[in-house]
Amino acid sequence: MTLILGIESTAHTFGVSVVSSEPPHILSDSRRIYSPRQGGILPREVAPFFSNVAGEVVREALDEAGVGIRDVDAIAVALGPGMGPQLRVGASVARALASYYGKPLVPVNHAVAHVEIARFLTGLRDPIVLYVAGGNTTVVSYSEGRYRVFGETLDIPLGNLQDTFAREAGIGPPYVVEGKHVIDICSEGGEFIEGMPYIVKGQDSSFSGLLTAALRLLKKGSRLQDVCFTLREIAYSSVVEVLERGLAHTGKREVLLTGGVAASKLLNEKIEVMAKLHGALFKPIPGKYSGDNGVMIALTGLPAYLWGYTVEPSKALIRQRWRIDQVDIPWYYEFPR
Amino acid sequence: MLMSEEVVVSWVRSLTLIKRGAESEIRLGTFMGIPAVFKLRVLKPYMHPKLAQILAAQRTRKEAKVIGHAIKNGIPAPRLLAVFPSVGLIIMEYVEGPTLKDLAFKDSKRAVKFSREAGLILAMLHKAGIVHGDPTTSNYIVVGEGGLKLIDYGLSEFSEDVEERAVDIHLYRRAVESTHAGIADAMFKEFLEGYSEVMGPEAGSVIERAEDIRLRGRYVEERRRTVWGQLK
Repeated sequence: MTLILGIESTAHTFGVSVVSSEPPHILSDSRRIYSPRQGGILPREVAPFFSNVAGEVVREALDEAGVGIRDVDAIAVALGPGMGPQLRVGASVARALASYYGKPLVPVNHAVAHVEIARFLTGLRDPIVLYVAGGNTTVVSYSEGRYRVFGETLDIPLGNLQDTFAREAGIGPPYVVEGKHVIDICSEGGEFIEGMPYIVKGQDSSFSGLLTAALRLLKKGSRLQDVCFTLREIAYSSVVEVLERGLAHTGKREVLLTGGVAASKLLNEKIEVMAKLHGALFKPIPGKYSGDNGVMIALTGLPAYLWGYTVEPSKALIRQRWRIDQVDIPWYYEFPR
Repeated sequence: MLMSEEVVVSWVRSLTLIKRGAESEIRLGTFMGIPAVFKLRVLKPYMHPKLAQILAAQRTRKEAKVIGHAIKNGIPAPRLLAVFPSVGLIIMEYVEGPTLKDLAFKDSKRAVKFSREAGLILAMLHKAGIVHGDPTTSNYIVVGEGGLKLIDYGLSEFSEDVEERAVDIHLYRRAVESTHAGIADAMFKEFLEGYSEVMGPEAGSVIERAEDIRLRGRYVEERRRTVWGQLK
């Protein structure tokens, strides 16, 4: 049996989890989420918040799992991609634990981890994946040793579009209320407005024009629920269309949705319809694992550790722009299960 | 006689379906006595009906515009017969003949020869300011001994961007490599010769970029800048 302690700290969530190579695998899942009182996520404010809670979150994760730090085989940590100040907190905690207790340190790519946890939870082995979050909007699938990017946003990520619109429209923060994004809440009863830009260029989408158009409509006096409804409809439809093209192009038979925006019911429904249209299998992941968490880092750290990927604490530097297609995934067909 | 567009569509649906793709349904019939292809855009069922309809109309209008522009520039594309954007319908001349893909399985020698012409046609298209978006061997039709026609402008764009042109080249290369492995190199070599013949000195940077795309294993990434690249 192998036990991995995973640490996530790339954006707004400081999460720690212990996973085991034996069922039930996920032994604990402890998190603290930073929510700004106003404005967006300022790294200089999140990092001290992380530093303050780090100790208790690690403690909690170990207690919940019923293990001590000495029982753990390795420490996995998300070294990127993400925001520097936050990443440094997670990396510092991981380096400290690894060197003090003499544990191997396993570097994990945050984007890879979102895909791996989705594969783990659904049991889908070889899917095309839509990864949508505050900092990422990408369609990826595995080919020749790595996750390859089929399409992505040319400007802002989808989650960023939603948060920025909510902030400018005065309906956030908080951006997520009881598991629902404020855009979803304000879309209720909305009607479709014609004329907002829908942009899919080949395999990529773009949202900055949509954001500008939505804010302009709002200023001109359009109803907020109509603007929210249309913004969401166009944004979701365009990423599903990119996913559809990816599905047709790669010939994969399975579809996954992961990342913070994967909690959206509507997005899941759209993908379900699209997958059915092409005879592909789609399985949604539980909402609580769509957003950032320590479990996904530990779950990815497990095969990485078993396949020998460790790093000296002194060399475990953060990589803010570490792309998903820079990471080898030799365990792809053998893990999970 | 004036027919409403709904009537046209329901009549089109009664024709023989020859291909159902993710983007459109292709049917065969006659239009004013001419054998014709009826291309009906699929309304995406996962979109709001209004959005699906708007996109189908926009894309139909654009495809018709691209085909019209291509024909004006002497590119062997199917002639347009009628366009109904609001219902996503394009009616065009039926181009009869085997695809270059079919030919490659039967007569590799001729396929290699025609591959040169495929490159020539793509270069003409690029020179006309259009990128095709899907120039695979399935979209080149062999029309008798006379030559080739390039069909399906559903993913085409008006663009003179080196990257997008290079993607076209890359797509052709991948098509021949994945389906005609034995003659892939010969076909691609001929294709590039044809392409360069029409493109002239501009061809170099496009072909170079296509090689880049192949090496990176995907389409979109920041342009690679090397010391040597800057010196050139």
